Amino acid sequence: MSEPHIPRQNPIDARPWTFYALATLFGLYLLFLYGPMLVIYTLAFQGPNGGVTFPLVGVSLDWFRDVWRPGQMANIPVSFGRSMALASLVSLLTVVISVAGGLAYRRPFPGAGAVFYIVISSLVMPSLLVGFGIGLGFQFLGLQPDLFTSALGAQLTWTLPFGILAMFAVVNRFNRAWEEAATDLGASPWQRLRYVTLPILMPGILGVALSAFTLSYDEYARTTLTIGARNTLPLEIYALISSATTPMLFALGTLTTAVSFLLIGVTLAIVLHMQRRREWASLA
Amino acid sequence: MANREPDIGAAVDALVKDLDAAPLQRERTAGRRWKAPAWAVSWLQVIPLTAILVVLFVLPTALFLIVSFFDYDRTGIYPAFILDSYREIFTSASTLRVYWSTLKFALIVWAITLFLGFNVAYFLIFHVRSAKLRIVFFLLCAIPFFTSAIIRTIAWIPFLGRTGAFNQAVMGLGLTDRPLDFLLFSDFSVVIAYVHLYTLLMIGPIANSLSKIDRALVEAARDAGASRWQTMVNVIIPLSKTGIALGSILVVTQVMGDYFVVRAMSGGQSASIVSALSVEIQAMQYPPAAANAMVLVVVVAIMVACLMRIVDVRKELVK
Amino acid sequence: MDPLYDVELVAVTKRYGSTVAVDDISLRVPKGGYCCLLGPSGCGKTSTLRMIAGHEGISEGDLLIDGRNVTDLPPSARGTAMMFQNYALFPHLNCLDNVAFGPKMRGVAKTERHRRAREFLDLVQMGDYAARQPAQLSGGQQQRIALARALIMQPRVLLLDEPLSALDPFLRVRMREELRRLQRELEITFVHVTHAQDEAMALADLMVVMDGGKIKQTGSPAEVFEQPASAFVARFIGGHNVLPWKDSMIAVRTDQCSIENPAGAAGLKGRVSNVEYQGPTIRVALTTGDGLEAAAVLRDHVFKEHPVSTGDEVTLSWPEHCAHRLAA
Repeated sequence: MSEPHIPRQNPIDARPWTFYALATLFGLYLLFLYGPMLVIYTLAFQGPNGGVTFPLVGVSLDWFRDVWRPGQMANIPVSFGRSMALASLVSLLTVVISVAGGLAYRRPFPGAGAVFYIVISSLVMPSLLVGFGIGLGFQFLGLQPDLFTSALGAQLTWTLPFGILAMFAVVNRFNRAWEEAATDLGASPWQRLRYVTLPILMPGILGVALSAFTLSYDEYARTTLTIGARNTLPLEIYALISSATTPMLFALGTLTTAVSFLLIGVTLAIVLHMQRRREWASLA
Repeated sequence: MANREPDIGAAVDALVKDLDAAPLQRERTAGRRWKAPAWAVSWLQVIPLTAILVVLFVLPTALFLIVSFFDYDRTGIYPAFILDSYREIFTSASTLRVYWSTLKFALIVWAITLFLGFNVAYFLIFHVRSAKLRIVFFLLCAIPFFTSAIIRTIAWIPFLGRTGAFNQAVMGLGLTDRPLDFLLFSDFSVVIAYVHLYTLLMIGPIANSLSKIDRALVEAARDAGASRWQTMVNVIIPLSKTGIALGSILVVTQVMGDYFVVRAMSGGQSASIVSALSVEIQAMQYPPAAANAMVLVVVVAIMVACLMRIVDVRKELVK
Repeated sequence: MDPLYDVELVAVTKRYGSTVAVDDISLRVPKGGYCCLLGPSGCGKTSTLRMIAGHEGISEGDLLIDGRNVTDLPPSARGTAMMFQNYALFPHLNCLDNVAFGPKMRGVAKTERHRRAREFLDLVQMGDYAARQPAQLSGGQQQRIALARALIMQPRVLLLDEPLSALDPFLRVRMREELRRLQRELEITFVHVTHAQDEAMALADLMVVMDGGKIKQTGSPAEVFEQPASAFVARFIGGHNVLPWKDSMIAVRTDQCSIENPAGAAGLKGRVSNVEYQGPTIRVALTTGDGLEAAAVLRDHVFKEHPVSTGDEVTLSWPEHCAHRLAA
């Protein structure tokens, strides 16, 4: 045939109109999500005489510098350090406890249902009330609420439910046959855990660690009544908002977002590195 | 007919003799006389979780249940069993007002996040064909979550204010000649802030449910003559009930328990249940605060129980 | 004008990006016939079925069903109904509602569609299971429900995507008979995709052997088995030796071959590599010096008269007229 071959698009394979409608909605949603963020990032560079709203009066890094300087109202660097320390501890504890819990739920055991409902209840309980309860308890016991005791505990009631729910999903995808094969080949229970179970669960575990870290790092409602004297970063920010709203807050917001990006980047890099190492090991 | 094959029988005999001689098997089973029952192992694994949650969640809740019955005056609180605090709550008009206001917000925010969350999740799971692109889109949705909720909330102020970015854009385009007032420090801005913060809580569980739907079911529906809308209503939505229920629980409880967003975004015009509570706590009026807390807990528990009645969340999650 | 064919494919091609899954095939399925698409994985048979169903678009060519050009029409407008490989029963509906789904989409009232659904449940002998959930049924039972769900749409053409592959061997034979019976009773055309040649031979009026996106042979099972068109078909259909002989390739049925021991006469010389007991028959496999493999399937009493064992030097022979010359 000498006619030019015109490939035709069969209507069955074409994208329906709903695709374009939903794609537009999604685009608008992303704009909605990131719009205010862009405002923050822009206003962070506000000039020294500018206020918290537009217009930008000059461009400067003054407010970024302000972040580092401990002011009368708030001490950002110190509270940041506290936040990081607390979040790391919370993340570690959450991972260990959630992994153990997730493994527990692979079989039925007495009280499994009760524990599950306690977990869900801890998740849906209004955060301030949890802090209130713990604060009350500490007061009655005559103890001083503090960063690494009451605040740590309060944050765990928030991160543990998320952690264990995530572990449910991860552990369910785990094939028992792998463990059975390991036993068959002579592995003791500890060896099995260390060389088979944990490595396979590792991506999920890292996910739990990352979310627990973030949840702790951003947490304020549960922490506020249990923190004692040494504030974490979100509480410092809250104090700042109540007293003086300056573009320093936006500089701070920009910096914290950058820290979050860094965290995600580092975690992704670790995961990719682990994957690549496994591929190399199998090629060798 | 000569039998040229090797004497397999003799070879097998020799191998069995070898195995009998090896102590390998015996070593492995020696000393393994007692093995812990499976359920006990699970029990041990779950004890840290249970212990922490009981001490830090169940006991404190019990504590403020008890305190809610206490007596109090300007100097302190006194152990007692009186219903005064509860009576105050149930006879006060402001209680009803605050609950009504918070419930109203919860309902509106739930409806909007459900619509938005479902459509975004549906788009990501059913319309995006490339797995890589899907992950990128999910990350895009999740990344703002990593910035503190406080900062994300107050970011709306320079955006929606009279001299804010939105008004400037809208006036610059000539759509209005006066800045829109209702955008900030109003019910509108409160809802916007809530939707901004909590839509992801809908997207996650719903996307999870949608991804578990067998695509062959959609084709089977198409084959039986269902239009795309009919497929959605008769197949997809029923099968994503768990995700919808879970997302709804998360969103509604967050709104009911919020104390910052309303204060910041309504300019003090509205109060939330918990913000009213926090005032009492700061005034050290623990019994009424505890009573308020108990009432809120019961209300939230009822809402969650209703949602979980619709869907057996436990079965779906632990499956 | 009453068309002769229920399904007609005219120069149909299917492309996924740059891959050609189905390459310019043409096929005519007579009315009320049972057609089997047979071939190895990846040969394009499932893509072809899905194009007939309307779940995949046709890249080039035309599809006619009952004389109408349905190439661009959606599945529900074609007069076809499909039975899916894993049945795809709606897990949130009971059996009755599963079967009544199609009528519900068409707007049929509840009492009427439930009545019709019960009729079709009885047709597949699942009347007692109306209130059950699919998860409570065995594989064979689920398949009947899937069948009823498709048949209630009263299609001209029923499309079956490897319906028997998930069943155990016993059930497979039983369901085969069921399908045949149904097809004859309902007098509609069935198009059935499978990779098992015994299934295709048992069921088909028209057998279509496919490979690499092309049709390699069409015909009745007897035609294909007795006169395979190419070495590929002969090998795929099974029960044939494909050998170079004299100056061409031939296919000889293994059940028409015999073993002579010691070597003698005309035939293929080789060494027995395996002797397989099959019940009423014994399969003797041998390898020639050139590395060629062949086999003979002998009746058990024939084998017992002259038994052989692995390692013996034998000759494979066959009657002259049983050798079928292959085109390619």
